[in-house]
Amino acid sequence: MTVAETTRAERGPVLALRSTSAGRRWRVARGTRRVPFLFAVPSIVGLMLLMVYPTVYLLGLAFTESNLARPLQRWTGITNFTDALRSTAFPGSIGRSVVFAAAATVLVVVVGTALALLLRARGDRLGVLGVVLLLPLVTPPVMVGVAWKLMLAPVGGAFAGIWSRVGLDGFNPLGSSTGAFLTLLLIYTWQWMPLVTILVFAALLDVPRDLVEAAQLDGAGRISVFRHVVWPAIRTSVWAVLVLALVLGFKVFDLVVVVTSGGPGFSTMLSSFFIYRTGLQNSYEIGVASAATVIFVAVVSAVMAIVGIARKRAVAES
Amino acid sequence: MNAMDPSDRPVTTPVGLLRASRRQILRGALLGTSAVAATRLLTACGGSSANAQVDPGAKASLKGKTISLLVNQPHVVAFKDVLAKQFEQEFGGTLKVTAAPYDQLTSKQILDVQSGAGQFDVFDYFYFGLGSLVAADALVDLTAWIKSQPDIDTSDFLRSIWDPYTLYDGKRYGLPFDGDTHILFYNAKVFDTYKLDPPKTWDDYDAAVEKITKDSHGKVYGAVIEGQQVPMILGCTFINRLAGYGGSLVGSDGKPNLNTDEAVQALTGLINVSKYALPTPLQIGFDQANSAFLSGQGAMIDTWTDMALKASDPSMSKIVDQWDAVPLPVGGSNTTPRTALDAGFGLGVSAGSQQQVEAAEFVKWATSKTNNLAVASKAGTGIDPARTSVLNDAAYKKSLPRAYETIRTGLVGDPLAWPSGPDDPAGLQAMCDEIALAIQGKKSAEQALSDATDQWRKGTSG
Repeated sequence: MTVAETTRAERGPVLALRSTSAGRRWRVARGTRRVPFLFAVPSIVGLMLLMVYPTVYLLGLAFTESNLARPLQRWTGITNFTDALRSTAFPGSIGRSVVFAAAATVLVVVVGTALALLLRARGDRLGVLGVVLLLPLVTPPVMVGVAWKLMLAPVGGAFAGIWSRVGLDGFNPLGSSTGAFLTLLLIYTWQWMPLVTILVFAALLDVPRDLVEAAQLDGAGRISVFRHVVWPAIRTSVWAVLVLALVLGFKVFDLVVVVTSGGPGFSTMLSSFFIYRTGLQNSYEIGVASAATVIFVAVVSAVMAIVGIARKRAVAES
Repeated sequence: MNAMDPSDRPVTTPVGLLRASRRQILRGALLGTSAVAATRLLTACGGSSANAQVDPGAKASLKGKTISLLVNQPHVVAFKDVLAKQFEQEFGGTLKVTAAPYDQLTSKQILDVQSGAGQFDVFDYFYFGLGSLVAADALVDLTAWIKSQPDIDTSDFLRSIWDPYTLYDGKRYGLPFDGDTHILFYNAKVFDTYKLDPPKTWDDYDAAVEKITKDSHGKVYGAVIEGQQVPMILGCTFINRLAGYGGSLVGSDGKPNLNTDEAVQALTGLINVSKYALPTPLQIGFDQANSAFLSGQGAMIDTWTDMALKASDPSMSKIVDQWDAVPLPVGGSNTTPRTALDAGFGLGVSAGSQQQVEAAEFVKWATSKTNNLAVASKAGTGIDPARTSVLNDAAYKKSLPRAYETIRTGLVGDPLAWPSGPDDPAGLQAMCDEIALAIQGKKSAEQALSDATDQWRKGTSG
């Protein structure tokens, strides 16, 4: 038997299959299945490049002896994780990040929603007030930080005169641990609260007017109208905004860099800043920074999972 | 009845909150295993190489060349307004100057080489980042090349900075460019008002700060203490005091050691005086500190020598005729004025450069006596002399009449050099963190310094 004959004999069943109408259908079906896959290829490649590669590389750095100069030197197991957790600053920074994100989210959502309700009571349009509201939001966070830091400067700052008049010469809220943390929280709220206001205002526009009027005709007061008519209508949107605000709260970094640099002491050292400082500023310990990132991601994921479950339950109840 | 594949049956985790099917758990495990395997693979790819050298026999002309530099932000004037013009005039060439903030300079230089970008020919590098740059193979070994260049005259470089700025692990990686030191500036008018003499010891300094702040009822603060928690700011503030007390950052075994009487005395003094200084020291960085001194709100500041030029410039200063400068005070058993090599820069050749011989020629040209004098004598360049001949030059002396003698004393003395190993930036950051905790009152000076030493020796930044 020649080579060609052998090959043909081996291909026999396939060729036979292809020669039947069933084979044609199979070929067509396979081709049809391939088309959507081909359409998805750019997304898959993009995902691989933007998500999978950095994640694998991050894990690689986290489990190896790595610094900015020489990444991926030697497999070290969980050493970087233990180093991060034993460091002076990191464990505290996780707690601080969770507290900051939670407090910032509550503040931003409560104040933002209250403001949206007030604005909705004025009418259907935000007008000039909308533009004013957007200002903190469109200002780059670094500029926000610089401006606030200058205003808070104990000598020559915008508030220095006020402090002086009330007998607090040289007072700087950024000078104490609690003061610095609260100040950062307030600046963050000032910047992101308008986003919540605008999103909740948009949700409020969808609350049927006739329902509100009907409730009012039935003698419902403002609180009852809000509780039984408005809140059920906007609850889903507010939960979505809350999740968004929580993510933003965990992400805060630029304000810390500009306003406090994590100080005084470690009082405003949030995890994001610790990771940056460890990996890229002064010490270049990329391995420890990557391990800290993995731990931080796990903590954020756990918090988000809990909030997700709470949201699901709240939405299901509605 | 809905028949469910057993593998898709939900499994409730112990916390009862998260539900996942067995298939999902298996997928997760597979992903984890793949990640570990990929990590092993990546580790195998992470190689190392020795630092490249410039061939001593190689010759190059700078005529018509374009040299790209990555420099410290405050040095832009020196490169763009002085050296670039001179370079064009002499060689018809161009300098492409890119500036980086001080806290990103070393990491940008490392990343430029490590990433393979190789955009720059010459690095303006922090001397205490030398170990990090060498470990990253970011700088070219110039040892043999420097020896082969008779016109460099290495003996003219200030002895106090020659080795700390250029030598690492027995090899030379650059030439000194900016001999940075700190001196103590004071507002003479304020001192006259409160009948004080400029301090010679740190005890005098502490007493003067307290008196001025108390007696002026907060109109003038006795001192501006820069305490932002980074080595370039709080690190300098502490190390200035440590130098004055005759201390050191490393012990006789060559390892970091802050468990010394000198270090404790320096930190205790800093803690005690902080409450009388411009509020609030831990939040004070360069900008606030300089403006407070130049506006007359702070009576003293220990900072870089170029403050002399700023204080003399009416467009920047309200104390043009009121300031003066003295060497950093002494303390404890030390009676000899001693400054610290705070910051300080060398010029080196990037390992990513495509024209390393030309880059080395440029380094030689830029650090020559003529050019060092030109940049050190011009206001706003932020450059101090790196050569003895420049320090003794009449033109330089004329540019800084009031501070000249103080600067000279510091540079020709025995200034305290910062260690420059690859782990030292992390150690210096740990030291700053611990000092900040001590200033905050959360730790005693002894405890903070002991913890800083432990962290530094472990090579971690906290």
